[in-house]
Amino acid sequence: MSILSAQSIYKFTISLLFCLIINSLQAQTDKKQPEKDKVKLLNSITVQADLASIVISSLGGDSYSLEGGVQVDLKHKYFPIVELGFAGANKVSIDDIGFKTSGLFGRLGIDINLLSSKKDSKPTNNQFLAGIRLGMSNFEYDITNVVITDDYWGGSETVIYNKIPATKIWYEIIAGVRVEIFKNIFMGWTIRNRNLISQDVSGAVSPWYIPGYGINTGTNWGINYTLGYKF
Amino acid sequence: MKYIHFLLIVFFIGFVVSCTSDEQCRKDRYVKMSLSIYHLEYNQTTNQTTKTSLSIDSITVRGLTTEGLNVDSILYNNQKKLNKLEFPLNKFVPESKFVVTFNNTRDTITILHQNINEFLSLECGCLKVHSIDTVLTTNHYVDSVKIINHNVNTISTEHLQIYN
Repeated sequence: MSILSAQSIYKFTISLLFCLIINSLQAQTDKKQPEKDKVKLLNSITVQADLASIVISSLGGDSYSLEGGVQVDLKHKYFPIVELGFAGANKVSIDDIGFKTSGLFGRLGIDINLLSSKKDSKPTNNQFLAGIRLGMSNFEYDITNVVITDDYWGGSETVIYNKIPATKIWYEIIAGVRVEIFKNIFMGWTIRNRNLISQDVSGAVSPWYIPGYGINTGTNWGINYTLGYKF
Repeated sequence: MKYIHFLLIVFFIGFVVSCTSDEQCRKDRYVKMSLSIYHLEYNQTTNQTTKTSLSIDSITVRGLTTEGLNVDSILYNNQKKLNKLEFPLNKFVPESKFVVTFNNTRDTITILHQNINEFLSLECGCLKVHSIDTVLTTNHYVDSVKIINHNVNTISTEHLQIYN
């Protein structure tokens, strides 16, 4: 009985040591795993076009816009972006005052992917993005047929402002999502809150529309629906 | 993820609200020159002049064109107990002339001014504001005139003081 007990204790001890060694090796392998999965700094470059601006422009409103962008994937977390576009407006107010402009615009900024991938989950290319942009447009505009009348003394005058140069700078706060619909093809939307940095002087002539910004109010909202290809 | 949903809802509501177009002009476009009437009294013993607001029993005002013709519309027609008046300056000529009848005494007040375009917006258009250079008056009822504020615009303020 005592021999059997001694053998049992021996087998149990050997088994325990074996388990500990295996477990220790496994732990070492797990520790090394994150180093193998270390995320590269530069992962991809995505070229994208804004479908929303094309659709809205084709609806025949007062304004039109075409824009696209190039975005870099840094560590699957940070996405610096350059956006370039062309926009314009041709509007007549209810008092027959005409406004016309067109011009190029650019935006520079960064998106951050707020979705953090869990340890056990499969890697995904879907992103929930929050970001900022700094936008600028240098353009000219015309305001025509501004009629001033004098109800008491009589008479009227038509004022025309031709080729007024303007440079506007604004910032945008962005939220949106982007999903990979096919391999390397991404689709997503962003909603943007735009705020002008350079405000108009009271009483001075100011544009009704700013390319890349939209209608010239202190704050403005916009939407983009992008289709992009990842290289 | 809760705050993400909240952010999305806030952004969406903001976007929808901003899409409602509004072409109504909501800015003030009322540009009038304002003047008040005062009585000046000189006290010889104290060697001081006191100024008191004066209400006129009857006042009639109408514009006079540069050609010397009466403007069709009368600004004030036999108005009672007024001590503050508002005159529209000519938007296209740098001179506005008004014939003012204080009770039964008539004076002509001439205002020389610059007219300046001020752009409001596409919805509101443009308005004329004025900068008063000189004020001339006959002296039947009016003793003197003082320019208090040269800039006539949408801000309501006293521009001239008329002394009797």
